[in-house]
Amino acid sequence: MENTVVKIDNLVKRYGELVALDHFSLEIKEGEVFGLLGPNGSGKTTTINCLLSLLSFDKGSIEIFGKKMTPVSYDIKKDIGIIMQNVVVSEELTVRENIDYFCGLYITDKKLRAQYVDEAIKFVGLEDFTKFYPKKLSGGLLRRLNIACGIAHKPKLIILDEPTVAVDPQSRNKILEGIQELNRSGVTIIYTSHYMEEVEQICTRIAIMDKGRKVAEGNKDELKRMIKNTETISIEVLGLGADVLAEVRALPHVYDVKYDEKVLVISCSGGKHNLIRALDTLQKHEVSFGRVYSELPTLNEVFLEITGKALRDKEE
Amino acid sequence: MFLHNFLYEIKSSLRVRDVIFWLMLFPMILGTFFKVAFGGLYDKQTNTDPIPTAIVETQENVVFRSVIDSVSGSDDAILRAEYLSEDEALKKLRDGDIKGVIYSGDKITLTVAGEGVEQSVLKLFIEQYMTREKIITDAVKNDPTKVQAVIDALSEEITTSEEAPLTNGNTDIYIQYYYNLIAMVAMYGSLTGLHIAIGQQANLSEVGARRSCSSTPKSIGLLASLAGTWVVQSICMIICVTFTAFVLKVDYGDRLPFVYIAAICGGIMGVSFGFFVGSLSHMKEKAKTAVLMSVSMLLCFFSGLMAGNMKSFFAEKAPWFNDLNPAALVTDSISALNLYSGYDVFTRKIVIMLAESVIFYILGLLITRRRKYASL
Repeated sequence: MENTVVKIDNLVKRYGELVALDHFSLEIKEGEVFGLLGPNGSGKTTTINCLLSLLSFDKGSIEIFGKKMTPVSYDIKKDIGIIMQNVVVSEELTVRENIDYFCGLYITDKKLRAQYVDEAIKFVGLEDFTKFYPKKLSGGLLRRLNIACGIAHKPKLIILDEPTVAVDPQSRNKILEGIQELNRSGVTIIYTSHYMEEVEQICTRIAIMDKGRKVAEGNKDELKRMIKNTETISIEVLGLGADVLAEVRALPHVYDVKYDEKVLVISCSGGKHNLIRALDTLQKHEVSFGRVYSELPTLNEVFLEITGKALRDKEE
Repeated sequence: MFLHNFLYEIKSSLRVRDVIFWLMLFPMILGTFFKVAFGGLYDKQTNTDPIPTAIVETQENVVFRSVIDSVSGSDDAILRAEYLSEDEALKKLRDGDIKGVIYSGDKITLTVAGEGVEQSVLKLFIEQYMTREKIITDAVKNDPTKVQAVIDALSEEITTSEEAPLTNGNTDIYIQYYYNLIAMVAMYGSLTGLHIAIGQQANLSEVGARRSCSSTPKSIGLLASLAGTWVVQSICMIICVTFTAFVLKVDYGDRLPFVYIAAICGGIMGVSFGFFVGSLSHMKEKAKTAVLMSVSMLLCFFSGLMAGNMKSFFAEKAPWFNDLNPAALVTDSISALNLYSGYDVFTRKIVIMLAESVIFYILGLLITRRRKYASL
């Protein structure tokens, strides 16, 4: 049975009248890449800050590695790596010195630390920049340095708070591959991001937060099943009659049909064999058709349907 | 962990341009300016004829009369003093026969007509007298048997006579400005202390948040960073004293090693003071820097950096303030080396400086350690 790495129980955090976390609970198992999603102001960063014992909270409890987390839980902290939203390094230290400095906050053995620092530099691909000062690095390289500073001490739990903001596709790909590699080596990951395709690519389980509450939780498929539109079928077809359209509309699980004289779009909610039934109907009426697509909903659609499409401009 | 933090603090602090400029270069520039400005004045003072001055005695002041006799009676006298009534003195002043009128009584005051080197020398002479009178009077209160020695010492310090003074210290009236320069560098150390406080607190900086997440206890991180900064600050203080003593040829007397000790203790106190202020509230770094700079300059002002008579003003009105004002403690400790043959006053000032350092550090630590924040 997998061990529970993080257990948040009934957490309440208020900023005056504003309830930032409203009886929020979460359990993360060892070896998971856990995605924490939510619009701005939903409580993601507040959750992480409470988790790290940086923020006080009004109610609830937090356990990490089975122990209660407090500001002086150094035995827990030594196994946690944090990669913050912004790049947090010292401008006065070189790339190597920065990694060595932050690694040294956890690892006292000098020889072991030197080995870890070398490995971290290699891991993020900064071998050619070890003597550079941060101000000489591009945005992508800075992000990689930021990650190296957070993981060099080989933590068992890594928290990444939007680590790929303002990063070019190549650097982002390198970062995501790195996270997956870390996970394969047994590290548990908590990952927050606004980029749904990233979360979809790397996370094994996801929680969606809104207004300080957990509004959905599960793996990708489970989340996709939670929304109304579970399958969108598109068929290239010409001269479709009203009677055929009516028959398609009447098919089981079909809740919406659109036809623009070229493409028939059928939206289904749940059920199996929706595509076969739609094609059978067309063939029955001897309607010839071109290309056919069947698409499952994206995580982005899931996110928007669960959290709504209204703009969120509150800062977390 | 301590050594790791300590060494990296030194390394990174020595690479901060602001530290290099404000703590190393700026004092050299200002010291050079003092040398150019007051060096010339001192030469004029020592090389020109005695300054014609009238003394109007509103009340008998034996000590002051003794001092005036000393500084006007010898071949290398500073003043050519004559005792006159107020009307006669003011007439002579209007006619330009004398450069100033000194009123001697409970208080010593000066009236001059116009500005010039002689008038400045008179002003500085009176300021120096009042400062030292206060210090020495306090000493007499503690041990009345030393009255004659004190009067003699007071005379000797202000005159250029060849009699042996109490100490071999420099009694040049302009040297106070260099003492204040050292105090100013010490107080600038508060900025690095402020940086430490901000860099260790999760609610004030992101690097503070990252450090707070680590397995290094905050108290160790803080102490190591402060110790590193104390070392850097001490280096800056040593550079300042060395530059003024050996490049600008400022004569600190024959107790230069003790001047270094006073400067280093002052620097440590400055860092701790900044650390304490930095720990106090949730203000942004820029706001805290502005507050700290203002407070530091104000304390330097009160210790006489911009106006030489400020310290004597506090010595008279609120003597306890000079024992609390970090900047005044630095200048007083170095002054004590030139004023007293013993080390009692010097040691007392050093002990107060170190005690303030410890108090500032403990208060700052109590505010910051083991803390979760209500908001970040």
